[in-house]
Amino acid sequence: MKKKLNLAPVFFVGPHVVLFIVFILIPTIYGIYASFTKWNLMNDPVWVGLDNYRTILFDSESTFHVQFTNGLQNTLFFVVLSVPLLIVIPLMVAVALEHKKVKMKDFIQAIIYIPGLISISAAALIWSLIFNKQLGITGNLLGSDTVWAAHQPYAWIIIIVITVWGGAGGNMIIYRASISGVAQDLYEAAEMDGAGAFRKFFSITLPSIRFPLIFTFVMTTAGAFNVFGQPLMMTDGGPQQSTHVLMMYIRQLAFGNGESIAGMASAMAVLLGLVILIISALQYYVMNRNAS
Amino acid sequence: MKRRLVFTLVLVFLVTGILAGCGNKDEKTITFWTPLTGDDGAYMDQIVKDYNATEPEIKVKHVITSDMYTKLSTVLNSGKGVPDLAIIHADRVPGYVKQGALEEMTTLLGAQPELKAENYLPQAWSTGTIDGTQYTVPLDIHSNTMYYNKDLLKKYNAESFLDDNVVTIDEMLSLQGKLDEGDYVVNDALLGWVILAQIQNLGGDIQEDGKPAVNTPVMKEAFESVKKIADAGLMTPFGEDGYLMFQSQNVLFSTDGTWSSTAHAGVEGLNFGVTNIYSTTPDKYTNRSSSHLFTMMKNEKRTDEKEAGVGSFLEFIRQNSMEWAKAGQIVASKQVNESPEYQNYMQSFFTSNEKEIESLYIYTYEYYPYIAEAVDTYCADIVRGNVDIDETLQTMQKFVDDKVAEASSAN
Repeated sequence: MKKKLNLAPVFFVGPHVVLFIVFILIPTIYGIYASFTKWNLMNDPVWVGLDNYRTILFDSESTFHVQFTNGLQNTLFFVVLSVPLLIVIPLMVAVALEHKKVKMKDFIQAIIYIPGLISISAAALIWSLIFNKQLGITGNLLGSDTVWAAHQPYAWIIIIVITVWGGAGGNMIIYRASISGVAQDLYEAAEMDGAGAFRKFFSITLPSIRFPLIFTFVMTTAGAFNVFGQPLMMTDGGPQQSTHVLMMYIRQLAFGNGESIAGMASAMAVLLGLVILIISALQYYVMNRNAS
Repeated sequence: MKRRLVFTLVLVFLVTGILAGCGNKDEKTITFWTPLTGDDGAYMDQIVKDYNATEPEIKVKHVITSDMYTKLSTVLNSGKGVPDLAIIHADRVPGYVKQGALEEMTTLLGAQPELKAENYLPQAWSTGTIDGTQYTVPLDIHSNTMYYNKDLLKKYNAESFLDDNVVTIDEMLSLQGKLDEGDYVVNDALLGWVILAQIQNLGGDIQEDGKPAVNTPVMKEAFESVKKIADAGLMTPFGEDGYLMFQSQNVLFSTDGTWSSTAHAGVEGLNFGVTNIYSTTPDKYTNRSSSHLFTMMKNEKRTDEKEAGVGSFLEFIRQNSMEWAKAGQIVASKQVNESPEYQNYMQSFFTSNEKEIESLYIYTYEYYPYIAEAVDTYCADIVRGNVDIDETLQTMQKFVDDKVAEASSAN
């Protein structure tokens, strides 16, 4: 008997595959190709092999090397500061929201999630006003003399605050969904054995949600490496280039005011991609092994 | 079977009809790209609407394009979707001409005899002239300018600063120790433009023998002059929004753009006027400017009819761009900027006499964008004394040289 071909999965998956190929795969491949060229977006790319990479990585006198190392350092600093907060705070909130005594759980969840829906430009504008010494809450109500965007560590603090404010909600939703799926009899058995809240959290909750944890950790880290809007809008890379992250340099090179230096920008982007790939693989390997 | 055939035929008919309609419509429409994503986009929309209401043979479709220069690169590279007309900024012209991206305006200007240098502000027109060929027709000059708070000037007895229309740095310094806490003499809005103006005031330039000149005595002097104001505690604090501080009436002078006058006018109780950017010397003042220019990017598919349509549209703008004055811009057309109605607009100050017109300075050096980028990147830290000036000027020079070398090698 002839088996009937089931086309339904094709219709479900097909659009995503097409969009992935058109908007992710082809640009990525072209970007990798462009990184081996001199290219100004207008003329045809000229193949130069590893020249761009050599300049970025080894020519310490070059502006592009200086920008790459400074941008990568600042980006790594942001990742180290923001990722733990974007994991721990949503996890704590999710655990708290699962407690029986907490009322209006969905309302609280919505309040925490809503900032993530606001565009980074609007969010930055709101927080710039909040942190404005002359006009904002910090200066007028709290009496703070600090010009937040002009000095460290305050410049990083305002960037981290807006990041956590806008980014915590997404991870919290994932953790809540995962925690609600943990079998209740495990907690009941632990309680009968005299386990307290901390013991239950570390011995039941955390191991039970290890895969969502690994997923959010890897994705949050990858996302943090792509930070762009917050430092651009809040500090414009200052003071003294200390919050000038790599994505800002890449964009400036590719689409800045002068003639585009897209080949060099692509090479920086590929190197950033490699850093993300290596760190993500390491995270997955270490966390998965520990979880096992 | 029959039903399927009929359905297929109807579908083919419809698709063909729609595509044919599109093609036909495209031939009768001038696609006009602008980067006017702010309030000024609405004013341009109105101008286009007014033009289309005159029932021209070919109508204009205004497309506000965010990130326009990136999109222009893409369409020029592929040759598909190139707009018939675009507005670009003055500092883009030399680079585009070098890359062969701009169409000469020779034929179009021949067909529209009033589109000529004599009918426009000279700087705006000449910005589009490269090696004797005209590549653009100007819409405006948008300049760095200095707003002042009339009430604060009176309060601090500083109205005399405006007597000769040149507020000098020494005059500003004379207010040291006389201001209430929280008040400042000047903000740091568009600080990079202010520095570039001082270079002209000091008789310098940003190029020497065609090469970028950043690490120069005159650049150092320009920075040091402005730094004196910050050192005296008279400039709004680094990191604070000096623009908002002017609107909240804590700042006497705001070095802003002509286009901000409409926003300032919307602030209740802000009693303000406009003058030239402060200067190191009373003898010379410069208002660093740019210009919005109409241009046709290279496009083989643009028909002669469309080019003629573009000419008609630009002639309409020359005669009817009062609407553009509402956006706070200095309209380039003399017919407009010399008319009595235009004198109602604040920016008419900058075309009120020859000296003011001359003060509007547009940098046309090919590598100006890289120099402006370097100045913008480092100016705040230099002026606030956060970095060593000599060391930073060296870094800036290297910054520009490396980018120029890299960009040149891609051509």
